Parts: sequence; C-alpha cells; structure tokens
Amino acid sequence: MSAWLRNNLWRHAISLFMCAFALFPLYLVVISSFSQTGSLQLTSFIPRSISWHNYSLLFNSPAIPYLTWIRNSLVIAGSVAILSVIIGASSAFAFSRLKFKGKKLGIQLLLLVQMFPAILALAAVYVIMERVYRFASSIGLGTQAGLLLIYLGGAMGVNIWLLKGFVDSIPMELDEAAKIDGASPVQTYWLIFVPLATPVLAVVALLSFIGTFNEFILARLFLVDMSSRTVAVGLQAFIAGQYSRNWGPFAAGSILASIPIVIIFLSLQKYIIGGLTAGSVKG
Amino acid sequence: MNRRILGILGLLTSAALATSLAVVPGAQAAGGTIVVWADETRGPNLQKVMDAKSDWVPGYTIKIVTYSSFDALKAAFDKATGTSGPDVVVAANDWVPTAAKSGKLAPVTLTGSQKAQFNATQFFDLSYQGKLYGVPVDINNVAMIYNTDLVKSAPKKFGDMVNFYKANKTADGLKAGLCIAGGGMSWGAHSVFSALGADAYFMAGSRPNYHKFMDPAQFADNVKTYLLDGNKSNGFFPATDTGCKDNFLAGKVPFAVIGNWEWKDYVAKGFTMNLMPVPSVNGDDGNMFGSVSGALLTSFAATHGVATGAKSLLTNFFGSTAGQVAYQKFEGRPPAAKGAQADASVASGQKGFGSAASLAGIPQIGAFLNSNAGGASYWDSAPAYWTAVLVNGKDPLVEAKKLAKIWKKNMLVGKSDL
Amino acid sequence: MNILFRGKFALIAKLVILSGIAAILVLLIESALAKREYAIALFLAVSLAALCYTYLSARTVPMKFFLPGLLLLFAFVVAPIIYTVVMSNFNYKTGNIISKQEAITQIKGLGVEPDANGTTFDIVVGRTPSGEYAILVSDITNHIYFLSTATKRTDLLSSQVKLNDVGVATAAPGFTLIPPVKLAGNEDYSKITYAYADKYFISVQGVDVGAVFRQSLRYNATSDTFQNLLDGKLYKDNGRGNYANINASGDVLQPGWRAPNWFSNYGKLFSDRQVRGPLFRVFIWTIVFAASTVLTSFAFGLLMALTLNRPLRGRRFYRSILVLPYAIPSVMSILIWGGMFDTEFGAINNILGTHIAWFQNATYARLAVILVNLWLAFPYFYLISAGALQAIPSELLEAAAIDGANPRQIFRKITLPLLMQILTPLLIASFAFNFNNFNLIYLLTGGGPKDQLGGQIAGATDILISYTYQIAFGSNTQDLGLASAISVIIFFIIAGISLYGLRKSKVLETFG
Repeated sequence: MSAWLRNNLWRHAISLFMCAFALFPLYLVVISSFSQTGSLQLTSFIPRSISWHNYSLLFNSPAIPYLTWIRNSLVIAGSVAILSVIIGASSAFAFSRLKFKGKKLGIQLLLLVQMFPAILALAAVYVIMERVYRFASSIGLGTQAGLLLIYLGGAMGVNIWLLKGFVDSIPMELDEAAKIDGASPVQTYWLIFVPLATPVLAVVALLSFIGTFNEFILARLFLVDMSSRTVAVGLQAFIAGQYSRNWGPFAAGSILASIPIVIIFLSLQKYIIGGLTAGSVKG
Repeated sequence: MNRRILGILGLLTSAALATSLAVVPGAQAAGGTIVVWADETRGPNLQKVMDAKSDWVPGYTIKIVTYSSFDALKAAFDKATGTSGPDVVVAANDWVPTAAKSGKLAPVTLTGSQKAQFNATQFFDLSYQGKLYGVPVDINNVAMIYNTDLVKSAPKKFGDMVNFYKANKTADGLKAGLCIAGGGMSWGAHSVFSALGADAYFMAGSRPNYHKFMDPAQFADNVKTYLLDGNKSNGFFPATDTGCKDNFLAGKVPFAVIGNWEWKDYVAKGFTMNLMPVPSVNGDDGNMFGSVSGALLTSFAATHGVATGAKSLLTNFFGSTAGQVAYQKFEGRPPAAKGAQADASVASGQKGFGSAASLAGIPQIGAFLNSNAGGASYWDSAPAYWTAVLVNGKDPLVEAKKLAKIWKKNMLVGKSDL
Repeated sequence: MNILFRGKFALIAKLVILSGIAAILVLLIESALAKREYAIALFLAVSLAALCYTYLSARTVPMKFFLPGLLLLFAFVVAPIIYTVVMSNFNYKTGNIISKQEAITQIKGLGVEPDANGTTFDIVVGRTPSGEYAILVSDITNHIYFLSTATKRTDLLSSQVKLNDVGVATAAPGFTLIPPVKLAGNEDYSKITYAYADKYFISVQGVDVGAVFRQSLRYNATSDTFQNLLDGKLYKDNGRGNYANINASGDVLQPGWRAPNWFSNYGKLFSDRQVRGPLFRVFIWTIVFAASTVLTSFAFGLLMALTLNRPLRGRRFYRSILVLPYAIPSVMSILIWGGMFDTEFGAINNILGTHIAWFQNATYARLAVILVNLWLAFPYFYLISAGALQAIPSELLEAAAIDGANPRQIFRKITLPLLMQILTPLLIASFAFNFNNFNLIYLLTGGGPKDQLGGQIAGATDILISYTYQIAFGSNTQDLGLASAISVIIFFIIAGISLYGLRKSKVLETFG
C-alpha cells in the first residue's frame, strides 16, 4: 500500500490537478453553448438551463452557413497541411542529406525570415494580393486560392526542425545502398525517405492543419463573401460585434469545430508523441 | 540530349497553349458596378433592400460586400487602395477625419432639398475641413432603460437612482444600480459623465463651444457623493460593462444604458421601451453621443469610373427618405432622415431611441474625440477614469483634473480638423 | 513503383506537368503585363525560367527540392519584408498614405468652392451636334434653362425646351440626350467642368445633379506648386509628403502622400521621448513574458511527461484530457479566459473568493497573461517532452541505476541534459513564437492596463508586436512608417537571440 502510495498516488494527484486545470475553461465553454442568454456563463458551474438553441441556430439559420464554413476550413486547412508537408519535407530532406554550397547560410536565412513579425507585413501582403487581383481575379484578393498561396509562403520554414531532425535519424546506410543501386536523390526521397517518415509527416500535417484552422487575422481580411469564409472567421464575427457579443452560437460552433481535431488527436496520440520528437534524437 | 529536345518541345507546347488562351482574363468588374462595403450587421440588411429593388441609380449595378465584423471592415478599409477599394463604405462618422485626411474619401455636394432631410449636426459629423464626405444613414445612440418591476416611476435626478439602489440593494439582491449594457465605458458611458457634470465638450447650438469646459472640482464632488463610499466604489456604478445586459435582464440591476441596435433583445424579454436620458444630478438630462453612421464616398470611386453613379447612390438611396424607409425595415437603429423617422413603419424601440436622442443627444465629433493631442483620446481616457477611481481607489479630484486637461487639449487641437 | 521515377514514362509525365504549370505562368505573365504590373510579371517570368531550368537540367539537384517552397517564400514572406523595410524609410502615416500622383488629383478635386448659395441644378447629359458633351440645365423653381458645354453656355427660353413630369428639361435644340442607362458605362462626361458664369462653372455631382463651383486652388505642373486663387497663398512640396505654404510651414494641404524620410523613423525610436520611453519598457516585458511562458509551460509539460512516463492506470485518459487545450481553437479559449478573469462576474474571483481587478492592475494582468499562456502551451511541451523522454535509450538509465545513482541524480545528470539537447531548438522556436504572440495579448488584455490619464501610450502587458500593431493600425492615428521601423528592430533582436541560441546549442553544426 505504501509503495503504491509512494509510486502512484502523487502521479494521480498531479495528473488530476492538471486535467482539472485543462478542463476548467472548456467546461465553461460547454455550459455557455447550452445557455440561451447568449452570454458567457461564468458565475455558476451548474447550467441554469439546457437549451439546444445555439446549436440549432448554426444549422438552421440561413444567415449562418455553418456547414459551408466547416467545409471551407477543411478544404483550406487540409490543402495547406498536405502541400506544406510536401514543401517542408523536401526542404528538410535537402538540408539534411544533400551537399550544396551555402547550406548553413541557407538555413540561417530561412530561420531569420520566419522570425519577422508577420502581422506587420500584413499590409504588404494585402497590397501584393490586391495587385494580383487586378490581372488574375481567381487567385488575388478575396479568394481562397490566394489565401492558400499566402499560407504556403511560410510552409518551407515551419516545422523544419522537427522534419530535419527526423531525416537525420534515418541511417545514412540506407541512402548509400540506394545510391549504389543507382537511385537519384529524387528517387531516394520518394522511395526511401517518404515511406519511413510517414508518422512524422502526419504529425507535421496535423500541426499545420490546426494552425490554419485557427487562423483568422488574415482570413477575415481575405475571405469576405459569406460563403467563402472559414469557421474561424465566421465564428469570430459573433463576438467581434462593435459593442455586443453573442457567445452562445460562438461557443457551440467552436465546440463542434474542435471535435474533428480532438478525434484526430486522440486517434493519432501514439504517433503524435512519437512523431514530435522521433526526429529530434539521432538514431 | 534527348532530354533537352523534349524540354524545348515542352516549352514550345506551353507557349503555344498560352498564346492560344491569350485572352486576358478581365479582373475588373464590368463598367458601372458600384461596390459598397459594410459590416456584418448592415451588409446583410442592405443586401435585402437591394434584392427587393436594385435600380436606385439607373444603369448601375450595386454590389454589397459584407465584412465579418466592424473591426474587419476597418482593417480592410485601412489597407485598401484604388485597386480593390470600395466606392462607398458604410462606416461610423468618426472615420471621416482620418480617412479624409489620408485622401481615401471624396467630397459630395447635396442639393437644398436633400440637405433639408437631416439635422445640421449630422452633416457636421460627416465633414472634415468644411467639406462633406457622405450622407447620414442611421443613428447610433444609447438610452437609459429601467426595470419597471423594480422601479415604479422614472427617476428625476441622478440621486434618486442612487437612493433607490441603496435602499433596495439587499432586499432585491441588486448587483449594481446603473450599468452600461451597450456602447462600452467610453462611448456608452458619456451620458453618465455628463449627468455628473463632465461633458467631453459643450455645444453652442450646432457648433462646439470652445469657451466652456468640464469643471473637475464639481465633477469630482459628484463622483464622491454618488459613486463612492469613502474612497471605495459604493457599488452603484460598475467600472466595466461586463455582464450588465444579463444582470439587467435577470432583474439584478434596475437601470441600464442600452444600445439602439439591440433593443429587440430587451423587448423579447418582456421589457417595455421606457427609454430616457440618464438624469443628471440637478435634474437635467445627461448628454449622450448621438452619432450617425454615414455612407461615405471614397476617392477610389473616381479611379473605378463610377464616382458620379456612387454620388447618386448616396443621394437616391442612402440619404433619401425612400431608401431609408426601405432600409430601416431590416435595421434596429433609427433612420437618420427626418422623413424616414416619421414613417409609420418605424418601430417603437426605434422611436424611443430617436426621441431620447433629440432630448439629450450631442454630436459625436471625431476630431475632438479621436485626437490624442492631450496624451490620450477621449475613448482611452474615459474608461481609464472609471478604472482609476472606482477600481483602484485613486483620488477622484486628481484624476478628474487630468481628464479635464486631456479633453480640453484634444478639443482645442482637434479644432483645426473640423 | 520505379517506373514512376525512371524512364520515358516518368520523363513524359514530368514534362506534361511542367508544361501545364508553364502555360499557367505564361498566361499570368501576359495578363500582368496587360495590366502593367511589371514587378509581378518579372517575378513570374523569373519563376518560370527557374522552374524550367531546375527541372529540365540534371545539374541542380538540391534546387529540385527547394524551388516551389522558395518561390512561395519569396512571394509571400520575403517580398512583404522588403516592402516593410522600404516603408520604414517613409513618412507613411495617417494623412500621408497615398502616392503623390493620387494626392495631386485629390487636392485638385478638393480645390473648388461652391458659390455663396450652394446653387445646384437638375441636369441631363447629352451631346452637341459636333459630338461634344453637353448638359441641359434646369432651374425648376425659377424656370431657367440653359445648355452648357465645357466652353460655352447657351441660354434657352422655356418655349425651346421640352420638360418631363417633374419640370426638368430633357430636350432642346442642338442637344441629343444620352439615355441615363448608357451613361453608367463611361463617366467621362463628369470630368468636364461646364461653363456657367464668370469664374464659376458647373460640375456634375450625380447622374442628374450639377452644382456651381469656382476653382480655389490651381496646380502648376512645371513648378509643382498649388496656388490659392482666393488669397494668393503659394504651396510647395515640403519634401516630407505635403504641399506647405511657403510662408507658414504649418499650413499644409490635405491629403499628403507617403514620402521618403530616410531613417528618421529610426531616429525617432531613439530621440523621441514619447516613442523611446514606452518602447524600452515594452521590450523588457516582452522578454520577461516570452521567457517565463516558455519556462513555466516547459516545466509543467515536463512534469506531466515525467508523471506519465511510466505505465499508470488511466494514463491514456489523462493524456487525452491534457491535449484538449491544444484542440480547441485558441481564439475561443483566450476569450473565455478573458471572461473568467472579469472582476465582477469572473469564475476566478468567484472561486478564490476575491475581488481582484485582474486586468486593471499591471501585476495581476501580467500574471493572468502568463497563466493563460501556460494553459495554452503546456500541452505542446508535454507532448514533445513525452516524445523526447521515450527517445532516451533506456539502457543509459539502467546503467546509471546499476552504478548506484539515485533517481534524482539520474534525472539531473542524464535525463535532463539529454532532454535539453533534444528540445533546445524547439524551445528557441517557442521563445521566438511567444516573442511575437500577438493573438494572446490582443484578445486577452488588448495590451492593458495602461494609465491613459497619466499619458501612457503602451500598456503593462503590451509586447513589442502588439504595441507596434497599435502604432500601425490603431484606431485613431496610424503610423505605418514608424511601426515598420520598430518591426525591423524587433526582427534584428529576435534573430540575434535565436541565432545566438542555436550557435550555443551547436544545432547549426549538424548542417555539415
């Protein structure tokens, strides 16, 4: 008993405490989503009444095309996730495996560029896309394709550490064997690296999916049409009213929007923990 | 070698393909389209009006672009250039000074009969350096509402409300006496400042009075008498607006200042629209900002070749009685044009706010309120006063003197922008 | 599988894809040229050439991996940075936003004055027999009608004109009406000033309205000056983006334009007390904030990782709960936290039984910011620490245990150093991220509290990026030039810190 106490009780205690900490605000979100007043119910822990009003609003109000927003978010975040993994992984592979001049300088420059406070460069991005809009209205300002391109601008540098670490951990011997077989670097990449790296690629894809899913500062500038908005922009509008905030539908919408992410997270738990750092350790 | 030939071949193909498709895609909208930007509340309403009747200006197509929030609209308009900017933007009147100064707006001229539909102060709100940049669309204001279940008769003086609160605090479980449910602690709370003797500026007719300013000593005295208990807040007036609406609706606050865009929420909860200005300490009315939102003409319209059409849209639709009557059917705020206000279809809530505005409305002059020549703008300094005195227990007189100094400077410097 | 990468099939597939991309690019280049977007066209052309060269030649192997990412990086990250750096050398703020050319057009448009009565007329637009634009003007109350072109006014008698049902003349000799619907496509007619009387002219103020004006400012293109025709004042380009009265430099014409002011924005950072004072304070807090966020969330993440490193009943359950903060959109959770810290109604004061004004007091507000960020970030640190712990070879730890080291020694001497080696790049990246964690500050405290009555410009929880954002896009006045200059400085600081960290941790050495 005392051994169990010593070994496990404190672990349960800490875990329970941290879980309570993690759940506490989420619980309030859930309560708010069932409240009809449209306010944040932050005083009482017992819901005063349960109402599905906010949820039905999301699906039945013609002014709130919630499902369209979800679809837009899934399409945009999904495309960004896939494309940015392709771009990021190939860059990481090149930085890890190929020999070329200016490699160290290259990685330093790449990192530097990522550190520029992007929010200030926003005005410039806007001007660029405005100009693109003049001659190519389908990829300029106000289009999902344009927004996608902007998101992909950062794809190369983001997560490069995770990926590069992983490539480093793949034994060199595999490459050399491939080389002897006459494989080019491109073939080595596709036939050896990509299959091996699938778990870490999945994690990186997930991270960029979540990041894109949550982004609203750029998206609210670019996606103006009601039907082209993402969930983050659509929901933010509920609470960005000049003086009035409508928390109920916002809370309900956020909960529903997080469910897919939670499910992916939970089902990929093992991969995620493995993938996040598998790369960081040299094998 | 083989590879290179194929490569060249590929390039040639692509070039051929491209030339065959060399119809330059027309990115610009067709001639005669007037683009109107609006926020998330007004945009959909405007769209409904346009769906019902679209030929406000013969030959022109009107396109409404709705931003997801007022902030998003402002963020986009701040960055917009002639390339993609709107021709007309429906915005708060305090955008006018900065946007006009930056060359984003273009002046409009109204005929005598068009002018006659509005109050002179409303034009004042939409002008910069003597030129008018748009037409008034709707009125943005607040008014005080009281819970008739708790309070049997309308208070005459500020002190009546405080006495009521003190007397019934425990019995009714009151959370506060008067709170700001709409408009925030600077814009919405001006009537409380004014009721206690601190107006951001005084008017002389329809012009600002540059010789009269708030008296900090008198204001601080009133704050001490009515809002403080020693150096602590007596609980009558909370320093933030959080939770005010809910608590009012729940019967935990007898008096609240509410915004005219959300009166329907109160009606839905069974409250009658017994609206009034906040009574001042000596029985006058505390002045509230009655700002108008305007349909502003941008300088981009000329770049797009639709400036004349856009001007006509302002006069034929946004600033006309017919247009405002059509629009206010969907909008909670009272219309700005006199003819539209008098229209039979205007709801009682809108009428209540309209009459409160005429009783105690002062124009919201962006040139003074947005100026931070005194170290902070009105918007920033006003809530700071409540925080300093009601929350942090600072001396009301010392802080009031700071406030008075800031507001006076802002007004005298902002004068040049009128 | 190999067939996809080798031989004729692969080559043809590659060429087809490349040709397709090339075709799209060529098309875009053509359209860009047609709209005179030369810089963009040049960039696209260079991209096209680079793509063809890279993927058709055998010599550029590394580039094959980089190019798509690199081009996107340049277009949407590097180019905006360059733009920002350029703008940091401009007087680019409220009042000086547009280009000089646009400003001249605007001032010309504003440089007119209505006549004393603000006379307006009803008009219809048409042409004279010679094809010149003309307006048929009606004063419906006084029954005065005349025809006006850019050069000439012709008075008409009531008998000469045909009136519509509201009394506006729509037909007259020598005047062919253009149907209003036709006018919509081309507004050239409205750019003309139509003759009225003396110095006054009629300007079109709507499709059916004309107003009487006279010129009050005249632009002289050769001397690049504006002259006020009423009082004779002369306005000259003052080199700082405005036309200023040559006798009184404070008297400027609005709007101005963005004009280069070579490094004076940077100068302001050091010389202007209004800017310098808050900047330094904000800078210190930014570092404290970023460092304490990384430290606290790493500490808690690591604690959880250690706690759950060994099998424990319910481990999967705990783990699932712990990652939840990561899954909820952060916009949502930050705003919820904001509500929880509310003085009157917030859950925190409710639970603690206190009445603390969290966001009105500098110290409490800072604590709150760090606490909320801890909640947001610890799951990430838990995940990476857990992964890293699993990656430490267990033989190492067992060997140490056999050598008689106690658990604490093992942790301090073996586990922690190994962990740090693995996690340092990620910690540095996290520091850099939090250095610029705009969303948190913007949504939670808005940078406050600040003592506005005492003239404070920056709030107690403002970090550099939120402070800069406020300067650049704040609601009252905007100074993009100054904000850009601060951005550039932030960039150097954070780049310096990160590079130093990376060098120190020898991570860069892995790029042999």
